[in-house]
Amino acid sequence: MDPDTAIGGLHDRFPATRHSLFEAVAAAGTLPGDALDQVIALYWKPVYKYIRFKWRMDNEAAKDLTQSFFVSALERDFFQQFNPEKASFRTYLRMALDRFAANEHAARNRQKRRGTVPFDALDFDGLEAGALALADTDTPEAIFHREWQRQLFALAVEDLRAHCQHSGKHLQFQLFAEYDLAEVERPDYALLAQRHGIPVTSLNNHLAWSRRMLRTFLTGRLRGTTSGDRELRDEMRLLLFIEGGRGQ
Amino acid sequence: MRELTDSTLDHLRAVVDLPDLTGTRYELEGEIGRGGLGVVYAARDQQLQRRVAIKVLDSTLPPLRLEEEARVIASLEHPAIVPIYETGTLPDGRAYYAMKLVAGQRLDRYLHAQLSLSERLRLIQRAGEALAFAHTRGVVHRDLKPQNVMVGSFGEVYVMDWGVEGVAGTPQFRAPEQAGVAGGAPDHRSDVYAMGALLQFLLPGAAPRPLRRIAAKAMAARPDARYVGVPALLLDVQRFQDGLAVVACPETWWQQSRRFAIRNQVLLLLLAAFVAVKFFLFFLRRL
Repeated sequence: MDPDTAIGGLHDRFPATRHSLFEAVAAAGTLPGDALDQVIALYWKPVYKYIRFKWRMDNEAAKDLTQSFFVSALERDFFQQFNPEKASFRTYLRMALDRFAANEHAARNRQKRRGTVPFDALDFDGLEAGALALADTDTPEAIFHREWQRQLFALAVEDLRAHCQHSGKHLQFQLFAEYDLAEVERPDYALLAQRHGIPVTSLNNHLAWSRRMLRTFLTGRLRGTTSGDRELRDEMRLLLFIEGGRGQ
Repeated sequence: MRELTDSTLDHLRAVVDLPDLTGTRYELEGEIGRGGLGVVYAARDQQLQRRVAIKVLDSTLPPLRLEEEARVIASLEHPAIVPIYETGTLPDGRAYYAMKLVAGQRLDRYLHAQLSLSERLRLIQRAGEALAFAHTRGVVHRDLKPQNVMVGSFGEVYVMDWGVEGVAGTPQFRAPEQAGVAGGAPDHRSDVYAMGALLQFLLPGAAPRPLRRIAAKAMAARPDARYVGVPALLLDVQRFQDGLAVVACPETWWQQSRRFAIRNQVLLLLLAAFVAVKFFLFFLRRL
């Protein structure tokens, strides 16, 4: 078989199918570890920054409260109580965080808890510069939403990077990183193609492939933290929505 | 894991959902709007050298949804319904269809304070004609609202986004039976309700009472209390424009007489003048 004609290449690894949050809870009776990992991977940064900003807590206090929140969520059957008819999981989580943080803040007797939640790998310190640079004009809710978008895309980019490494699509990811992940100025298409010795049409195709895969990974990540197709669709719209009319 | 900057995040959000038109005859120009089932883009047909609109189905929906919508629209050949050119599938598996690109504005943006009442009623008549035609073909829109009506640059009116089974409608324009708060399945009378809501939306603040009553009748909670169909509603609007009494607003004997007097005031004045002259001559002869 010609590697280029096989879907995704000969050594391609397709993204693992993720189940919705509800399916995971329904199947296991409780939230299984990998589903919990998905929720924490996506939400720990938004939660941390939201706490830092809304309650003006220092790094240690915010870090402690973030960990306590997820441990508490596990202890209180938080995931089983989620009702998708009332709100999206993202909204449900933020409202629960508000209640939790208000209670903890008022009581001032928060007890440091350690549980089964895998926090060791979370880079709280690396977040500090970003947390402090938040604009004063932003509302905590807007920051939570923005950080949710940022973390979701960051996770999907990591998924894409791993997928490309595993399937030998190094050039595709390199082009994607140089163009779509450029922080300052995007290079000219012709120059970028020339630098890699490929025609512009190939560059177009490689970028289109990478973006397509990125959307697949985004969808997969979101599916794991939403209740089903309807919420997934609404969240995708919210994630990608750019002001514009409905029109034709 | 690398933290994405705001500008990188915005760029990714803008490009990740763009349709990959590789292998099609179209070249992407940009997004036009978002509908119930997906996103609509402007594109250039490189074979025929013309601009078209391409609707790409939301990736979380099955392709059949868009194909069904395309089939519905293709079955409706009407001046107020945008024609479909072709359907297809993108390399990422998303279904799309290409259609005529309408140069114009959405009704909610077209509407401004200076728009005359007769122009507002013309828009309702044109949109209603498209709906009435669709109903004769057994097609119900299910999601009529100002955002789904386009006014072209020559004043032509197009009804867009033809609904398929399962479309829930939009609260302000949705009939109770669509929202599930009233019994019965949605049918063409759900569109009558939406037409009433559209008329209400189009009417200026100080709209004549009969027009407000027409909108209210069309928006009755019970489907059998509404107009039997869109043509009956349009006929009532036409009767108002012709200065006649409307079905939605029954009149008293006094109101009927007043309307008769206004409509026939020249004749009545001539009659009055004739009677006055007769009287004058009668008294003149007796002097």
